Amino acid sequence: MAKKTLALTLAMTLYVVQTTPTTPQERYHEDLTIRPLTDGKVVTAFTFTTLLGGASPRDPRDAESSAQHYTLFPLTLGQILREYSVTELHLSLNAGKWNYNSWGFPDHPSVGTGAELWAWMADGGPLSVDNRWMGLRNALAGLFCASLGSLDDRRTSSPASAFPLSSVPISHDSTPYALRHATLPSEHVCTENLTPFLKLLPCKSRAGLARLLDPQRVFDTDWHGLGVHVRSTEAGIELSLGAQAVFDPVRRNGGKRRDWSFQSLFDRQIDVSCPVASSSTIHLVVPDIRGYNLSPEPVASNDTVNIYSPTSHVPLDITMSWPEEYTFKYPLPPPAPQTPLSVKRTLYGSSQTRGVLFVSFSNNDHSPITVGYLETLPALVTLWMHTMKVDVGGIARDDLMSDMIYHPPLLLANGHHGPSTLQTTLTIPAKSTLRLSVDLSKTFLKYTEHPPDAMRGWDLPPAVLFPVPLLLDGERANASLAGQSIPKRMYTPTLLVDLATPDFSMPYNVIILSCTLMTLIFGSIFNLLTRKWTIVKMVD
Amino acid sequence: MMLLPNSDCSLAESSPNSFSNLDTTVMDRIWPRRQNGNVVRLRRRKNAAALIYRNLSKITTALLATGYLWMALIPIPPLSQGVYIDENALQPAQVNTNWNWQDVHQADLYLHHLEGFRDKNATSEQRASFIRDEFAKLGLSAATQNYTFMTPSSNVSGINAYAILNSPRTSGSEAIVISASWLSEVGKEPYNLRGIATVIALAGFLKNYSLWAKDIIFVIGDNYLDGIHAWLNAYHGTIPQNLNTDLLELTSGVIWNALNIDYSGHSFSHLGVFFEGLNGRLPNQDLINSLRLISHYSAGVPLVLYDHLELHDAPQNSLLTSAPEFMKRSPQLREFEHRARNVKRHVSYQARGRPSAPHGLFHHFRIDAITLYAVPADGPHGFFALGRIIESTLRTSNNLLERLHASFFFYILTTPATFMKIGTFLPSAVLVAVAMIFSGLGQWVEAGWVQESPSELHPQGKEDDSKAANATITTVTTLQPTWRPRRRPVIPVITTICVTHCIGLLAFAMIDTSYFLQNQVVASWILLLALGLVPQALLTIIPSQPPETAPFSLLLQSFNLCLASTVISITSLLNFSLAATLAVTLGIPLICSRLFSRPSQTSTSHFSKPCQLAVYAAYWILTWGWLLLPQEVEKAVWNWEVLGVWFAPFVCIVYAPLVMQAGLVGLSQS
Repeated sequence: MAKKTLALTLAMTLYVVQTTPTTPQERYHEDLTIRPLTDGKVVTAFTFTTLLGGASPRDPRDAESSAQHYTLFPLTLGQILREYSVTELHLSLNAGKWNYNSWGFPDHPSVGTGAELWAWMADGGPLSVDNRWMGLRNALAGLFCASLGSLDDRRTSSPASAFPLSSVPISHDSTPYALRHATLPSEHVCTENLTPFLKLLPCKSRAGLARLLDPQRVFDTDWHGLGVHVRSTEAGIELSLGAQAVFDPVRRNGGKRRDWSFQSLFDRQIDVSCPVASSSTIHLVVPDIRGYNLSPEPVASNDTVNIYSPTSHVPLDITMSWPEEYTFKYPLPPPAPQTPLSVKRTLYGSSQTRGVLFVSFSNNDHSPITVGYLETLPALVTLWMHTMKVDVGGIARDDLMSDMIYHPPLLLANGHHGPSTLQTTLTIPAKSTLRLSVDLSKTFLKYTEHPPDAMRGWDLPPAVLFPVPLLLDGERANASLAGQSIPKRMYTPTLLVDLATPDFSMPYNVIILSCTLMTLIFGSIFNLLTRKWTIVKMVD
Repeated sequence: MMLLPNSDCSLAESSPNSFSNLDTTVMDRIWPRRQNGNVVRLRRRKNAAALIYRNLSKITTALLATGYLWMALIPIPPLSQGVYIDENALQPAQVNTNWNWQDVHQADLYLHHLEGFRDKNATSEQRASFIRDEFAKLGLSAATQNYTFMTPSSNVSGINAYAILNSPRTSGSEAIVISASWLSEVGKEPYNLRGIATVIALAGFLKNYSLWAKDIIFVIGDNYLDGIHAWLNAYHGTIPQNLNTDLLELTSGVIWNALNIDYSGHSFSHLGVFFEGLNGRLPNQDLINSLRLISHYSAGVPLVLYDHLELHDAPQNSLLTSAPEFMKRSPQLREFEHRARNVKRHVSYQARGRPSAPHGLFHHFRIDAITLYAVPADGPHGFFALGRIIESTLRTSNNLLERLHASFFFYILTTPATFMKIGTFLPSAVLVAVAMIFSGLGQWVEAGWVQESPSELHPQGKEDDSKAANATITTVTTLQPTWRPRRRPVIPVITTICVTHCIGLLAFAMIDTSYFLQNQVVASWILLLALGLVPQALLTIIPSQPPETAPFSLLLQSFNLCLASTVISITSLLNFSLAATLAVTLGIPLICSRLFSRPSQTSTSHFSKPCQLAVYAAYWILTWGWLLLPQEVEKAVWNWEVLGVWFAPFVCIVYAPLVMQAGLVGLSQS
């Protein structure tokens, strides 16, 4: 007993000695935003933020690494960040197609289908940025049980203007920073990704808002995604873990009512609050239309948002119901798009050799919109830039496109082809649709490059639309016509491209047939070549 | 043998021999057996070739007979085998279906509205906007599409309505289509109202499940074929010149499978499947096999081909009705007749390249699609059974991880449960083609040589003797008929062939005009007469050949047979039904075309001029007689203009010129 007490005291003393001078202040916030939509869907966005006060990312040139002691910040992630001296990290794993028109802008902007990983790293030090990037994605693949390891140089690019550095630099000297960005559209988020995600939270899913993240329900939603975002701010390193889901209570209800509650959506209530959270809030964005009942009463509210606190009010089960509505009727005509810009991207043509990449941008606003457009395509397809056409209402408008950068796929040292990137700035006139089309050809893969599994086709990553700074200082004559930009990044849906695929299910037929043919041709030619020709006398 | 019919020595392969200059006796001593072996082998080879050449007509006849007999025997049961599911992922009829009476009630309500539209003769726009609004009320994104096809005869326009169910959790890069056309052309009832009602009710039902791995697209096409065709072209961004439409507002991913619903009757007893597509393409057989299992196990509905009821079910208008009683009773004959009807229907769709129902338009875009046809009857099935079958088939398609590829793409379904592999039917047409090319090559050889009787040989004997003297062994040629090579002028023949094909092209250009289609009866007769006279005129232009060269008709027939045989062999791989039809129509007429030709003035004529003209008239009717089938011509031209079916140009540019050449062979002097 005495021994135990001594050990405990020793540990405590050591802890105090270790932590008091160096351990930064750690704070943990959790937040849930709920947005009921007019089409009956409910958008939920969980944000779990841990601030590691006073800390800064490791300078890659520093050889020795200090000890890491965290109370709230997840150690596993901290070790990875320190090992590869990552300044800024964004990882998202999403399933589904975000419908900007009906659901509006998401709370966490990274909603591209599949896995997306991008990181800013300071350059210098013994290990190159590419080496650290490889280590980082392999470490994250292990941590999150996702195939991030396949985000190799065939998918990696560095589009810095679309994914700018938002962190505060390490020191004031001009350390160069490098961006690495890769997407894997065929990656599908699953329970095996949620479990390691929840482990990063101080209260896991046992208390607090994360209590609601029941995989059975979250992974049944129309759209769901997990995100990990690390930035270094003035105050320290900020880790923000996000989970978003778009629920459809009408579907759960057999197409009848749109009433929902925590119990019906998540199959759980918040029955315990997380004791280490310094703040925990729920924001409910109340819809414009009336006729609903909300319970319980919010702790604070204004015209648009009701605020609930799961710390003071436990157990909490927010319930929203429309008592006078027997069956929910979808609004007709469908409501106007929720975002100023609607994007549609398709791959036309049904052949296995060529196609047309077609993107249409519809401006729903009364003023022009200027956006950056970024397309990162694996070397499976080759864009033919001379066929690029931009038109509005059938009239060619090349003047609406500017600052175009195109990098064709590069042959890398290891025999891989890097991705091709196309980046341009587009101005979409008010209340009109701009159509951009480029012809593309599809490659014929070597047979070793085909994956061993069932061949459904190859996914092309989503295109990204990003806000651009508008030139208002007279640099361009039509700057005033450029209007506004979009507030956040937008992602288009992914595309599936069909390449010519041999039927691998019957290799033996193919081998036998082609070998027979080869033998016949070789045998007869060899026979003719090695023979000597003579005159034979014939007596009749 | 044919090339060197009378030479004493010939080139032959032998073992390494550097002593060819040595004395023959020495050579014989060194390699006596070897040398003999070479001679024996050469002689054997020559004899074999001589045997084939001597019996060429017998061989040709045997090949032709085998080919035609094989074709006739296609419906016999031993040539077919049982169908089976090849793709493991499909797992047909393994799910519990949820479609219920509540959904049937919804379908009934939609049907009530649609009947209202039918009764008040609503416009396309009213119908399409109603359907679009119904989709939108279900919470789906829905839109309409206006289209106009410009054809020589008239403009075809309409409005399609479609909706996309963005399946939860999916990236939306793959899709399945469920479609229905406003009209139905199979049964008596012209409107496919129940089919459309089923599709809308299904939309409301399917959106309540999160298990779909692909987007589901619902398409209601206007008219019968052109609506779906316009929609598919707009979806894939391949809008042809004569189609006036805009790109679709809503799109989804790559479409792998499509089901087209045709339910025009009141109730149904059997579910029929239509599968022939545009230009004779067939869907993967797994799709049909899955449907057969699903319809049997999930709803207890027997699957039949087309609207042909099962053998034991109905006294269909049978060929056997006028047959003697014992034949009527024979189960083998009845089975044969049942299968023959299915094959005949299949060939009539595939040879014409016409889609048998709207699903066939999907095949053009590499989408496996079939039409589910509810065979009209007094009962017992309705929306309930059909909904279950479609739901289960969708679940099966939903299981696919890759495109359907495992099962067959080339097959003939003799009954829903039995099919023929390509190896059991393709040889029939190929045998006929082989007979034709043998016959053509035989003619080519014949054209190259002229036989001379010994008496004729004497004046030239001096030269031959001196040649023969050079050979070590003198042959006794004077007693045998000798062969003398002659020139084969091919330029006039090739020109004639090119001109006939150009005439075909011109004829097609004329048929494909609005003027022709508007005054079809008169224009057909004028064109028919003109096309009958043109070859006559053509023959007069051809310069007469000097008598020592090969006759024109012989060479023309040789080329004609080789060309026709090539066409049949190539077509047989792409579209067996068309190849078989060609083999039947071309085989005997082309091989026999020279039998009726007028022999040269020197020998006695065994065919009089009028008789020869009558034969020519028969060929002429075989070539262009179809012009007198106005409906067929109009339909074929419409199919070419709107759907891009190759049948009309193929007949005009390939088939007709081939028969025309055969007619010329008969008409020209030999």
